[in-house]
Amino acid sequence: MPIVANASRFSKFGRPTLAWIVGILFFFPIFWMVLTSFKTDADAVKPEHLIFFKPTFDNYLNMTENYDYWRFAKNSVITAVMATVFTLVVGIPCAYAMAFNPSRATKDVLMWMLSTKMLPAAAVLYPMTFITKTAGLFDTHFLIILVLSLINMPIVIWMLFTYFKEIPKDIIEAGQMDGANTWGEITEILVPLAWGGIASTALLCFIFCWNEAYWTVRLTTTDAATLSKLIEGNRAPEGLFFGRLSAVSAAAVGPIVVLGWFCQKQLVQGLTFGAVK
Amino acid sequence: MSDRKLPRLLQTPAVLLLLIWMLIPLGMTLYFSFIRYVLNSLRRPEWTSPSLSNWRGFGNYEFVLNSKDFLFAIQNSLFIVCSILFLTVVLGVLIAVLINKTFPGQGVVRVLLISPFFVMPAVNAVLWINMILDPVLGLQGIAVSGINDVISGLQDAPLVGWFFGLWPQFEPISFRATQTSAYAVITMVTWQWTPFAVLIFMTSLQSEDQQQKEAAVLDGANSWSQFRFLTLPHLARPIAIVVMIQAIYHLSLYAEIEIVSRGNGNKNLPYLIGEFANNNIGAASATGIFAVILANIVAIFLLRMIGKTLME
Repeated sequence: MPIVANASRFSKFGRPTLAWIVGILFFFPIFWMVLTSFKTDADAVKPEHLIFFKPTFDNYLNMTENYDYWRFAKNSVITAVMATVFTLVVGIPCAYAMAFNPSRATKDVLMWMLSTKMLPAAAVLYPMTFITKTAGLFDTHFLIILVLSLINMPIVIWMLFTYFKEIPKDIIEAGQMDGANTWGEITEILVPLAWGGIASTALLCFIFCWNEAYWTVRLTTTDAATLSKLIEGNRAPEGLFFGRLSAVSAAAVGPIVVLGWFCQKQLVQGLTFGAVK
Repeated sequence: MSDRKLPRLLQTPAVLLLLIWMLIPLGMTLYFSFIRYVLNSLRRPEWTSPSLSNWRGFGNYEFVLNSKDFLFAIQNSLFIVCSILFLTVVLGVLIAVLINKTFPGQGVVRVLLISPFFVMPAVNAVLWINMILDPVLGLQGIAVSGINDVISGLQDAPLVGWFFGLWPQFEPISFRATQTSAYAVITMVTWQWTPFAVLIFMTSLQSEDQQQKEAAVLDGANSWSQFRFLTLPHLARPIAIVVMIQAIYHLSLYAEIEIVSRGNGNKNLPYLIGEFANNNIGAASATGIFAVILANIVAIFLLRMIGKTLME
């Protein structure tokens, strides 16, 4: 049949070619940002240096001078790491209880937790500003860590719950017979068993914290300002600083994009709340 | 048994934290939405602190509903969200079907394709609006002026010159302008979220019933009817989930709108709330309640769907 012949020729040459074109097109803006980051600011806007130019590392070497990059990067690292740790410390016991001692309310509690994630942040913008300024927490690491944890806690608990559910109950109960207390069950049996799931949950949580762009911008000024805030503050360079802005942008997203490559699968689980398998 | 009680208690910190996080700010928003509350007022200084004596009933809601910005913001929110949903789902299905079969370099293509999703929103917006879409210095500007140069060069060519003489000069589009900034936002968010849709559809395609497909091939079904009657129904549920999750995320789009045009001609609800919150807290809170209602309409459907798969 002609259709089948066409189909097989398509799957042999057409499909790979088309797939590669699509992949390259989607990656192109990132590639372009990285390429521009190796141009001087002057070269970055000259059509004759679009592709051929003398590469320079100056944009990366001068990130501290130009943007105070490392201060913002440090804040991003501190807040994202601490928020991830805190979320796990609160989330693991919670997911443990839900997975191994479920009650009739467990499902409703989980659903309710997710529903908090669906509230539009902007709706509580002023109360949050008001509370944090009154409590003297505005623009502190503590506040950003807390907010990032709370934003991600529903997803983290949800993901941990789906991982823990897969662990046979017998193993945990065997631990109980051996006289392990709850703390021992979690640290000595559960965590080692579910290590892979916990690690990928943590990775994903870290990525979401790093990329958060509403509260980190609205609830900080300088002391706790993260990379999102830095980039947003330099939103319109009018072509004067394309080179250096590309460098600082590439430095802000590079590590995260690479991390992201390693947790594609968990991403599906985490973002669809386990509803797509 | 007492050691059965303890595990239940382990849920308490998480539940309490989330309860406080949800109830207190939302309660305050609800309260502020019913009183007159502004940050600065020379004429009515009593309105500058929240108090029950400034009760306004549904006055703030009326004020918001009657402001032309609000209607525009709702329309614009829906326009942006629906456009992004349409584009990401169509592109997502096509690309997922395209790369679902094994071919040389499939892993690399997957990595290239998923990368945009991990770019932080602020960088996404800065990158697109400056380096790519800028009408003079961005790739768009350079491309348009390049095309114009080629055409004006060809106008002097023998034989075909008259034909190119008929061509107009192309004008680059400024995406920071009132009429176009929404399109810039749609473009950059679609770029970022299509990979998400692809990833989810691919995950779902891997659980597609292969035997059914083989049977269909034996029955002489061509690729189109296989896609139409087997693949697409199989994808119905993931599509619904992708639509709802994205709707919730994109209804609160903020950074991109701020960076592209500072909301110029392109306000959505979160942006309008931000503007009101510069002074009129009452109006900002009433708008916030509307945003919550809008998000809840989507969220209820989504939660129902997720709930079904939860306990299996």
